[in-house]
Amino acid sequence: MYYIILSILFPVLSGICLLVRKEMKNRRNLLWTTGILLTITGVLVMLSLYTWQGGMLALFNLTPRLPILFKIDEVSVIFAVMAVIIFLCAGFFSFVYMKHEDKEKRYYGFYLIVFGVLLALCFAGNLITFYLFFEMLTLVSMPLVLHSGTREAIMAGLKYLFYSLSGAYLALFGLYFIERYGNTLTFSPGGVISSQTAAGYGAMLLGIAFAMLIGFGVKAGMFPMHAWLLAAHPVAPAPASAVLSAVIAKAGVLAVVRVVYYIFGASFLRGTWVQKTWMALTLITILMGSVLAYREPVLKKRLAYSTVSQVSYILFGLSVMNTDALTGGFLHVLCHGFIKAGLFLCAGAIIYKTGKTRVEEFRGVGKEMPILMWCYTVLSLGLIGIPPMCGFVSKWYLAKGALASALPGFWWIGPVILLVSALLTAGYLLPVTIRGFFPGADYEYNALEKKEPSWLMMVPVLILTVLSVAIGLVPNELIDYLWQMIEKVL
Amino acid sequence: MILLVIAIPIIAGALISLIPFKERRHMEILLEILVIVNSLLVLYLLVHRPAHIVTLANFTGNLSIGFKVDGMSMVFAGLVASLWPFATLYAFEYMTKEEHEKIFFTFFTMTYGVTLGIALSANLLTMYFFYELLTLVTVPLVMHTLTREAILASRKYLYYSLGGAAFAFIGLIFIIIYGSSTDFVLGGVLDLEKIGDRTNVLLLIYVIAFMGFGVKAAVCPFNSWLPDAGVAPTPVTALLHAVAVVKSGAFAIMRLTYYSFGTTFLKGTWAQTTVMLVVMFTIVYGCSRGVKETHLKRRLAYSTISNLSYILFGVTIMTPLGMVGALTHLVFHAMMKISSFFCAGAVMHQSGKHYVHELDGMGYKMPRVFGIFTVSSLALMGVPGFAGFVSKWNLATAAVESGNGIAYGGIACLLVSALLTAIYMLTIVVRAFFPGKDFDMETLSGIKDPNWKMLVPLFVFTINMIMLGLWSAPFVNFFADVAAGVY
Amino acid sequence: MDFVQNFPAVSILLCLFAGIISSGLRKKAARSVNIILILIVTFLSVCTLFYTMGTGEAFVYVMGRFPAPWGNEIRAGVLGPLMALFFCVIMLLSLEGGRKKLVDEVEEEKTFLYYVLMDLLLASLLALIYTNDLFTAYVFVEINTIAACGLIMIRQNGRTIEAAARYMIMSLLGSGLLLMGICMLYDLTGHLLMSNIREQVIYLYSAGEYRIPLLVTIALMSVGLAIKSALFPFHAWLPDAYGYSTVSSAAVLSSLVSKGYILLLIKIIYRVIGFDVFYNSRIIDVLFAFGLMGMIFGSVSAIRENDVRRMIAFSSVAQIGYIYMGIGMGTQAGMTASVFHILSHAATKSLLFIAAIGLTDVSGGSRKLVELTGAAYRNKWAGAAFTVGSLSMVGVPLFSGFISKLLFSQAAVQNGTKMLPALIVLGISTILNAIYFMKTVIRIYTPVESGKYKGIQFMKMKRYCLTLVCFVALNVILGVFSQPIVDLIEQGLVMFS
Repeated sequence: MYYIILSILFPVLSGICLLVRKEMKNRRNLLWTTGILLTITGVLVMLSLYTWQGGMLALFNLTPRLPILFKIDEVSVIFAVMAVIIFLCAGFFSFVYMKHEDKEKRYYGFYLIVFGVLLALCFAGNLITFYLFFEMLTLVSMPLVLHSGTREAIMAGLKYLFYSLSGAYLALFGLYFIERYGNTLTFSPGGVISSQTAAGYGAMLLGIAFAMLIGFGVKAGMFPMHAWLLAAHPVAPAPASAVLSAVIAKAGVLAVVRVVYYIFGASFLRGTWVQKTWMALTLITILMGSVLAYREPVLKKRLAYSTVSQVSYILFGLSVMNTDALTGGFLHVLCHGFIKAGLFLCAGAIIYKTGKTRVEEFRGVGKEMPILMWCYTVLSLGLIGIPPMCGFVSKWYLAKGALASALPGFWWIGPVILLVSALLTAGYLLPVTIRGFFPGADYEYNALEKKEPSWLMMVPVLILTVLSVAIGLVPNELIDYLWQMIEKVL
Repeated sequence: MILLVIAIPIIAGALISLIPFKERRHMEILLEILVIVNSLLVLYLLVHRPAHIVTLANFTGNLSIGFKVDGMSMVFAGLVASLWPFATLYAFEYMTKEEHEKIFFTFFTMTYGVTLGIALSANLLTMYFFYELLTLVTVPLVMHTLTREAILASRKYLYYSLGGAAFAFIGLIFIIIYGSSTDFVLGGVLDLEKIGDRTNVLLLIYVIAFMGFGVKAAVCPFNSWLPDAGVAPTPVTALLHAVAVVKSGAFAIMRLTYYSFGTTFLKGTWAQTTVMLVVMFTIVYGCSRGVKETHLKRRLAYSTISNLSYILFGVTIMTPLGMVGALTHLVFHAMMKISSFFCAGAVMHQSGKHYVHELDGMGYKMPRVFGIFTVSSLALMGVPGFAGFVSKWNLATAAVESGNGIAYGGIACLLVSALLTAIYMLTIVVRAFFPGKDFDMETLSGIKDPNWKMLVPLFVFTINMIMLGLWSAPFVNFFADVAAGVY
Repeated sequence: MDFVQNFPAVSILLCLFAGIISSGLRKKAARSVNIILILIVTFLSVCTLFYTMGTGEAFVYVMGRFPAPWGNEIRAGVLGPLMALFFCVIMLLSLEGGRKKLVDEVEEEKTFLYYVLMDLLLASLLALIYTNDLFTAYVFVEINTIAACGLIMIRQNGRTIEAAARYMIMSLLGSGLLLMGICMLYDLTGHLLMSNIREQVIYLYSAGEYRIPLLVTIALMSVGLAIKSALFPFHAWLPDAYGYSTVSSAAVLSSLVSKGYILLLIKIIYRVIGFDVFYNSRIIDVLFAFGLMGMIFGSVSAIRENDVRRMIAFSSVAQIGYIYMGIGMGTQAGMTASVFHILSHAATKSLLFIAAIGLTDVSGGSRKLVELTGAAYRNKWAGAAFTVGSLSMVGVPLFSGFISKLLFSQAAVQNGTKMLPALIVLGISTILNAIYFMKTVIRIYTPVESGKYKGIQFMKMKRYCLTLVCFVALNVILGVFSQPIVDLIEQGLVMFS
């Protein structure tokens, strides 16, 4: 049971130790230490998931009415597992990648801290604990964004910080009210708003709910608070971008899940203006992200725009509030997590090996590093949603849920936008493959040299690719698990 | 006993200027011992509270100079007593680079006594008396450097403070005439029979007196003296202009609101609305000026302006919970702001840098100081786990609980201000620790962390900030008792 | 009739005789006579004060036992001796403080004349305080004016003569108006003794006759005395007169002479016109309004002034505004506050004048504020005393100014319609006071680099320092133990009518 504490504290403390220690003489030592620490954390998380017996783990009280407590439920499991896998993959990937950046020690230190904080976020058992780690997450992940230290990066880091904080404060605004009008701050499936205390305050509480959605939506890059993501994700080192896009943006999703289904309750929000506005916002974001990505020439930026769009798929699924759409949403959490992490790692590998960043420069890359490019292609297909890849399954459920929802207008607009966006996704991801493998007639094959990255880079990419395919091929187990959870919350 | 703790620092201060010391160390030791002894006496006094009001002298009529220890006094006196020894210790080190030390310590120590006088006053007149005195003993501290800037600042400070007192004085008069006495009684002393149909006049007077005392608490539009007064040596800015002096203003307003006019009389009136709106505006205004400001100490001063209005926001909610929030922030903000000011002072002392844009990369040269600065930034922002969160939480929940629509807006102001706080504090932290790719560390050579006299206070405050953030229950319960009138 | 009842008349006569004798004496002897005279008058006043406090009512002393309407009467309640006592103390201290300056500034052979004028001034002040006869009052008003002119002029340079001329013209205008008022009253009532006039006025008033003439009379007398006591906007003569005369004169003029007129006005209000009649005429509102304006404009002029003496002089305009505001409030409390302020302002203003002279002396005699920079380090005692005076003016607790402010505000609060303007102007005026006084205090405590002017040691100015200490003590006594004094004033005002 106390493995939870350990799995949170261990990476945080080891990260801090790493930060305050003197610079290590040997780079190898640093890598070994970090590798071991990452692995131990992963093991600890798995242990805590296995040994969990239900109930809650209350640590102490911040104020008499604000306990810090942890618990593990299905949502925690999904997010924690995803976090561990992606963090480990990206971590090992960066052992090679970070060779060409300065201040590695600082990077790994914060990487570990972010890991720990993120796990805490997954295991948080009530809103205040969640908020605590949500704000921490912003603060400790900022150094990852501005790691390169260029002016652009620092500005992006600050932008990230201020957007996230304003979101967090918007959420905090709601938190104050929930503390007053809700029964408890503990996450409970179906919500904590009791009819007695909230009687007569319905309209106000809806406003509060909306504020919290927008606030937490900042982290998930939801329109209109998405601008930071476009600035911050591309400037970070590639493995950090992978983590940021695939996991940290999901923290926003996790927050929305917690608020909507565990605090307010779906029944409270269903059919209100909040649901409709929210849904409209997610649809706008989906379309906007895709269009922007389509027009963007730099690969990492393109992927960042894609994140904006894809995360909103998930939010769209959550906003529909029925079983199918939720299933789709949660599936897409995993899907997008693995795929986007994989894609960013691919981009990183290309940058590391060739130094090229713009899509039109990628001519013949596929010839130089075929395995990597194949992985990229598979991942892209997954994100576009070609059967039998995982993206297909998640989008299928999303569309099905949307169609089944009785919301006037949205029931057909939603699926249409999903479809258009999928086309755009194909439009912005596949050109890389095409240029990579089909450089054109005037390509000089003689100058070609094999640049396939080392195994330490390759293996994480491969793992992520395999996982994304696996979810697409055998989704049933997962879907059953999701349905169990959804049954509770709806 | 009460008289003793007020008198010791005042007399000690006067003595310091008279005794010729052979060595600087002797003065340091003597002064530190005196201050610590006095603080211990204060704490002893707070535990063994005298049951009666100690009357010193009678002015005209039923007006007297009297002292007592009640809940509010305990909070403020305890706060002041626990901060002063540390600030004195810090000042010893800081003042090595300044002139006229003796005069400085004379007035610095006297201020201690006067502040205690405010804290322990038993009635409005006594408080007013010490309030005026506080202005006078702190003016020499502001003009300490005697540069043209300092003199202008001290003049401004003096005009603002005395002017504010003049309007607060009007409030005092009304309490004398319309109250049953000027003593502080939780719930107010107004005599409703005497008021008759002049309620609106009294409300107007409340607003005027609020603004009058508000001058010291730097309520907008009477706040411009505070950033200017930042020309004083840092121990002064930190202890006086972040804690003792400005908090006296807030303290006085609390006395006025809860103990003289009484919340039952004020709650729900236009007066409450007015002062609340003013305070809300100040919260946002102070922060946004802080964001624009590039001088480090002035930036912190603007932050103080905004944070003082947090306290006042709690006051203007006018419920016991609001008072709890105000008291919490009164104490917690003291820790946070004094520590950030001390950091700024340490930077100025060690490197002579005053402006934010000069701080690039300093985090590597002065890791301890900037580490502490980071902690205090986070605390000021209100990150959970630090002191600032608890006080903000108390304020905001009090606002929600009050059900007052404008107070909801106040919560929004608090949060906007938190964001702006993040902007002006964290940009400094980011600069210090992430100076940018092509920053040349050589330019900072020779700069290092200050010695123990500066670091000890800093560490103590930092530990406090975290302790209070994680384990605030005893304090908050105590404040709740104070607000309920247990003491 | 008790023996003590002779004292008021005796003290007036003593002063007159002393003046006459002194004119034939040499410098030192004249000085000694003056000091002894003041001490005796002080003693007599104390005796009278205790006597009236004991009996609890005012007594009337008929000069030569001629009955009214031919005779001349003196009437003394508690207030009269109190004021007389206080005036004596202030005069003594002011003379002592400015003694050294007097030697420097006044020609040797004219010094005796100075003391003669002082004696006459004291005589007239005492007469104004005690007399129960309107015409006698007028006579002494004139004596007062002439003596004051002489005091201004005795330091002979161009400015003082001009100032004295101005003072003379304005004063005579005031006396003229007063005289016209007295004539009209005499015409209306046929009396000159105050108590008799009062009866007639009440009769006339209740009968509703001669409304307009009565109003004009009140207006004439009020305006006349207002001009003489430099109420705004009739203050043009004041800054020069106070600013350029020798310091003792300035101190005495500002703290005593103008106060004598105000006392006379209060006396007229209570004893001649009657409080109710006065209250019902609208004159009182005019006084109130001019008082308020004086408070503001006096201070504003003081802020713009950069000559320290003139600045203090302008401050007097503001302070007199306070007093008229109190009178204009038309309540017992307001009147009490005004009378208390007469005391407190007298104590403070003369302190400031005397302290300022100490400061200018160590700054090469220059009175420009710029030159005063750091003066408080050169003359520590004067610096400290000036600070005390300033704080008292600003109204910091412990000093007399605070109590007057307290009384004024309390009076204001109890007044319905005049409350808000009075309170707001009080507040603003405090800020303005703070601005110019504190500016000066900060300046004199700002050290200068070069030792341009030399400092002065305690040993060289023992008497001066002693005087300052007495002044400060007086201030603090008024500030801390005000209750008995306020009680006395209230008692005295009751006896007045």
